[in-house]
Amino acid sequence: MEQTDNSEIFVRHLTEHQNRIYGYVFSLVGDHSRAADVVQETNLVLWRKIGEFKQDREFLPWAFAIARIQVLAHLRDRKRDRLLLDAELAEAMSVEAEKQAEKIDIIREALRPCLQVLTPTNRELIERRYFRSMSIDDVAESVDRTTGAVKVALLRIRRQLADCVQQRTTAGG
Amino acid sequence: MNSKLEELESLLFDWEAGTLSDEGVERVREILRSDEDAKAFFVQQQVLTAALKLDVDAGLEPPAMESPAVEPSTVEERIPVLNPSVSRKQLNRDSRINLWAAFAGLCLICVLAVRVFYLEASKSSGPESIAGINDLQHGEKGEATSSGIALVTSLVDVIWEADQSPLEVGDALSPGRLAIVSGFAQIEFFCGATVIVEGPAELDLKSVSAARVHHGRLRAQVPPAARGFSLELDDMKLVDLGTEFGVSMSPDGADVQVFDGEVELHKPGQSKRLMTTGQAGVFKEDGTFQVEQIQPEQFLDIATLELRAKSQDESRYQAWKLWSSNFQRDSRLIAYYSFDEEGDWKRKLKSSIQAESGELDGAIVGANRVQGRWSSKSALEFKRPGDRVRMHIPGEFSSLTLSCWVKIDSLDRWYNSLFLTDGYNQGEPHWQILDTGQLFFSVRHKSDDARGPDARKRTHHIVLSPPFWKPSLSGRWLHLATTYDAGSGKTKHYLNGDLLHEEEIAKDLLVKTTRIRDASIGNWTLPTEEDTEFAVRNLNGSIDEFAIFAAALSASEIKEIYNHGKP
Repeated sequence: MEQTDNSEIFVRHLTEHQNRIYGYVFSLVGDHSRAADVVQETNLVLWRKIGEFKQDREFLPWAFAIARIQVLAHLRDRKRDRLLLDAELAEAMSVEAEKQAEKIDIIREALRPCLQVLTPTNRELIERRYFRSMSIDDVAESVDRTTGAVKVALLRIRRQLADCVQQRTTAGG
Repeated sequence: MNSKLEELESLLFDWEAGTLSDEGVERVREILRSDEDAKAFFVQQQVLTAALKLDVDAGLEPPAMESPAVEPSTVEERIPVLNPSVSRKQLNRDSRINLWAAFAGLCLICVLAVRVFYLEASKSSGPESIAGINDLQHGEKGEATSSGIALVTSLVDVIWEADQSPLEVGDALSPGRLAIVSGFAQIEFFCGATVIVEGPAELDLKSVSAARVHHGRLRAQVPPAARGFSLELDDMKLVDLGTEFGVSMSPDGADVQVFDGEVELHKPGQSKRLMTTGQAGVFKEDGTFQVEQIQPEQFLDIATLELRAKSQDESRYQAWKLWSSNFQRDSRLIAYYSFDEEGDWKRKLKSSIQAESGELDGAIVGANRVQGRWSSKSALEFKRPGDRVRMHIPGEFSSLTLSCWVKIDSLDRWYNSLFLTDGYNQGEPHWQILDTGQLFFSVRHKSDDARGPDARKRTHHIVLSPPFWKPSLSGRWLHLATTYDAGSGKTKHYLNGDLLHEEEIAKDLLVKTTRIRDASIGNWTLPTEEDTEFAVRNLNGSIDEFAIFAAALSASEIKEIYNHGKP
């Protein structure tokens, strides 16, 4: 039964921290489909190493350490692909990424009301770009504005969202 | 933001859009290598993008502006989105579900490797946010909707049929049965027709301009705008042509009296009959028509109903006054403001009880005096960002109960204050409503400078009710209460005397000794802020009666406050 109990706890941790691992990997890999691949690889490695996982050990630092190795391996192996960061930079930013990714669920909770306070026009832009994954050109065409204008607008809205999330995550209570 | 960060922001945007050149990639790396701030900024941007992406994967739509109305009873099962403790619990539960899904599969590794990620991505913050957001906040995109065909605008001595859920003034009525044993109900159809129903009566509301009368007496006033308003009386249909008339339905037949204007009566197999001012008659069960004398005094008119409503209002107010004068003798009361001082308030909110130490009177800042729950009673309206009542309440307590009557116009702020302590220091409570319509109560446990992992850094346990607010409650007097048991940590939220939510505060965040000290009703004052900017948390609405107890009141005591105080 001990193995089962351990597996149960392991899976619970893995599930609970899945978003954090994703946030960490994405921030260093900079691409959603690649990040998804690396997270899956990380999950597999974690599962194979379940023997190393002790119940009293903190799961997240351990998972981040494995994820870090996967990210670096990915960046080194795919050198010929277009990548935003190289392995050295990713390594240098790993600690910061861990710190921020830990908070991703809090950020998501804060994001929802922040999206709500956007003006309808701004929300529409965010929706087209992020929720319907339209390209910038398509967004520009759909709202009859230039690509440049849409970029400026989206950057501004993102900044507003970031500020709002920042306030909401620090001001609560 | 410095120019380097701005440049990085722009480059990152292009990268995401897939338009960044190789030189651009090199420039990103250059900036990151040279600047620590840029590294932190970069990660921050990426985590925000990842958070947005997770929402997309979870199928969350970006929220629409207004929330469609949701009955509190249907949201009990939904877990608030902004409650860290609950979502953690929920996450654990999800993990269990995932776990069993995983074990149920033949190939555990495959399941783990492939499914955990997707399961998690779609369940990430739990069904609560999916159900919560889609159904509650923005189930349908666009404008908020509400339903109904008529409004209840006055009720005098109404006793409802046993199977009819009691209605209140201001309630919107949907098509369906309306049955009263006795008393008078004034119904305004959305078409513009006003009907006074006298019990015993039973009606079927059909549409914004039609109803069926099974039995009972009613008087209708139909202004020109509402012309065409119709009533079904047995097999007969009465169509109004802009008038005032009375109808009394009994087993013997339909008694129709036209006080002003004209009505048309349609009966199958007969030519339509026109009745005009001053005409009256009974359509008998056997199909005959018997002319009679008009008797308008048999049908209560709007003006008389208004007078009766006013006297009912006055007597309810007097009854509350009597109850309140007894209520304020409750030795558990720490502070009680009845908002019922006569004469000039001189910008003071008079305390209804005397404290042994010091003065409990509140100082009114900005808030205007307006009509309260009854026409002869006052309340304070909080509208502008500065409006508040300041008070100082000395002493140390353990358990607490906060109770107030509040009329919410809308929830415009992230935090809409009911009662907030200034410093929110250790042992001090915060009581407010989130823009999501959730009642919020917390007592600060640890000071702000607590360090350690996030879990240990938490300084309070927030108890959030499910969203209880819907736009149709706007302008309605609501009774809100929260009880906090410092022994067990059990915290309960009540709306209109009924339990809304119950939760136990985590043992490590349970506060045994509570304090109030400097606090505000209807707003929040940050003690450290000199002037300039302040967090806008003012309530957009009015408060009438506010009480704090040094004990956790029982459900029946809360119910009693509600029953005696409801308008």
